Amino acid sequence: MTEHEPAPNPQEDARYEVFVKKFAHFEADVRRFVRSLLPNWTDADEVVQQTAIVMWRKFDQYDPETHFMKWACVIARFEALAYRRKMARDRLVFREDVLELMADEGVEEIDQRDAEHAALESCMSDLPEKSRQLLTLAYTQGVKVKELAEEAGSSAEAFYMRLNRLRRQLMTCVESKLQQPGHA
Amino acid sequence: MNMEPTQFKHLSAEEQDWLDAYLNGTIEREAFEALQERMLERPALRAIMRRYLALDHHLQNDLTAANATTEPWLAAEAPLNVVKPKRQQRWLSGWAPMAAAAALAFFFGLAIMHWGTPATQGPEGFETAAGEQPSARGFAVVGRLFDATWPDQGTQHREGDTLEAEVFRLAAGTAEIQFFCGATMTVEGPAEIALKSAWEASCNEGAVRVRVPPAARGFKLHAPSTEIVDLGTEFGLSVRGGKEQVEVFDGKIALQRDGDDRSILNKGGALGLNASGAPIPTAAGAVAFPDADRNGSRAAVQRATDFEHWTTHRDALAQDPRLLLYYTFERDKIGGLIPNLATPRNPELDGAVVLAEPVDGRWQGLKSALEFRRPGSRVRVNVPGEFAAFTFAAWVRIDSLDRWYNALFMADSYETGEPHWQIQNDGKMILSVMVDDARPDPKAKDGATMRFQHLYYSPPMWDQSMSGQWMHVASVFDPVNAQVSHYVNGKRISREKILPKFMIKTLRIGNAEAGNWGQPFREDPTFAIRNLNGRMDELAVFKVALGDDEIARLFEQSRAQQR
Repeated sequence: MTEHEPAPNPQEDARYEVFVKKFAHFEADVRRFVRSLLPNWTDADEVVQQTAIVMWRKFDQYDPETHFMKWACVIARFEALAYRRKMARDRLVFREDVLELMADEGVEEIDQRDAEHAALESCMSDLPEKSRQLLTLAYTQGVKVKELAEEAGSSAEAFYMRLNRLRRQLMTCVESKLQQPGHA
Repeated sequence: MNMEPTQFKHLSAEEQDWLDAYLNGTIEREAFEALQERMLERPALRAIMRRYLALDHHLQNDLTAANATTEPWLAAEAPLNVVKPKRQQRWLSGWAPMAAAAALAFFFGLAIMHWGTPATQGPEGFETAAGEQPSARGFAVVGRLFDATWPDQGTQHREGDTLEAEVFRLAAGTAEIQFFCGATMTVEGPAEIALKSAWEASCNEGAVRVRVPPAARGFKLHAPSTEIVDLGTEFGLSVRGGKEQVEVFDGKIALQRDGDDRSILNKGGALGLNASGAPIPTAAGAVAFPDADRNGSRAAVQRATDFEHWTTHRDALAQDPRLLLYYTFERDKIGGLIPNLATPRNPELDGAVVLAEPVDGRWQGLKSALEFRRPGSRVRVNVPGEFAAFTFAAWVRIDSLDRWYNALFMADSYETGEPHWQIQNDGKMILSVMVDDARPDPKAKDGATMRFQHLYYSPPMWDQSMSGQWMHVASVFDPVNAQVSHYVNGKRISREKILPKFMIKTLRIGNAEAGNWGQPFREDPTFAIRNLNGRMDELAVFKVALGDDEIARLFEQSRAQQR
């Protein structure tokens, strides 16, 4: 029943290392994917966390021939659906059929997302400081725009209008950059 | 040819509105349904949605990582952010949510050591019955208890108590100890466990089962003869009448005895340990180790029974004609409105929920509560009429006292006769009623502030070590007997006379809210933000002054524990 131990469980530790490295590499992509399926960050965080746990549990079943990110998306899709079912019905979460479509089509767009990200970074650097500040405020974790607007002495509607306009501008910029030569 | 280019400009105005509202989290149910219908029909809309959602993700990720704003009102949020794990690291905590929670508690604990109770003198007529305050130091907490009894001379532990380097003695029953490293020990009495650190303990007597998540790998448990190092997951150790038995349920452990080589015991292995001589392999399952899962199902049964008792209490209390408001925050009853259960039913007194979110209440999975964590959260109500006294009682779970004042129940305009019930950031409960809003405040330096009032403080009744624990709080404003009393878990902790100059006999509420205060009269953010960082499971407001016995009974019955 006993055996001598040369070093504390080296295989397990090594496997763990590999997993952590791989997951860390794709974590932002997984989060982006999950965010496209669920209404907000908190929900997405929960599901990404659960996805990581399930992936580690099933890591011995992972076929290194498959793309790690694709495998992550399969599990994340499943976890997002499970999360959706668990949540109260009155929440504004995509219906199952919509969520499935978004997930299945999203898996095929991972590279496109990366290109968009690169373009966005370039667009952001051209953005006036004021707009940038507004975006930063709007996207600070835990900040609610309604309260933000109240504090700034503006109406929530006005704040959202500026925010919507900025997002649209950025999207236009991203699309035009992607259409330039040198971009796929 | 693609008939539907994916540029945003090919969205209809309606679609663009839906998309914006969805991203902003402000979409209405009807629009959301319409959006989904359209998404099913139109692949291009789905593609654009994904682009925007990715943009949203990139902005969130890139912007918030880069720089934080220095707006002063945001700084008021800082204490919360300091202890939040970084987004990028969050998934790691998924291995061992308990370890993460423990780590947070540990940081809090460190912070608390520098957090003294201010040495302010109570006002005249102050009478206190508070015991010593629990300490927030330590490296483990008492988890669930099942029929636990304690030795006559030993400490009577309660669930949630913090443990430090000490000897934990259990006479009978089962107790869980959660170490801040993430390991959980289920102890069956009679037992004596010497706690050494978040990573180390000795079992001198008793049967224990230790569950060690990957984050806590390396947790050490000493048996009298042998040191056991957990290399992951779960094992049991029994020390009874000088006999030591160890068994591995999952994963493996390393055994180390002075002068011997380290040896490994794998899953399914069981050994009898001796002070001298080699360990003797024994049959697995020969010793009954405490079973956390069995305890889990027992706990679920207990919860269901307690909850049922509580519903009986709820229905009885709702008939009490002295009640003004009775909110129980049950999920199936929360639809933007919290019904006031006091009979006869008066929908005018239903509470309107703003931003506060339904979360688990005192009986997990059975009863919900409302969480006021977000700065704008509140429950609003308008209570007309004049009253001769007030009793406020609530079940609350405070996560932290982030604000200078943390609201329980607050009248909006705080005019003459209107109450404020809240907790100061040093843990003192405060009840006050505006005595005269047109007379100068005796304490105001400018002599021009018109707020003649007096605040009735309790001694500190909360500190960070009690974070996340449910407690029953009550305060009574009793003009007839000229006194204000505060209660915690059914026991009076203070009573103060209402001096003649502060006497007020006609009381009102008017517009008011639970869990927040919307009309602070100073712009200072530390003053202005008053949401309670925690949960409320039950709130009762009476138009009479309840006595000590009645508060004690209210606590006992609403606690509904048949243990």
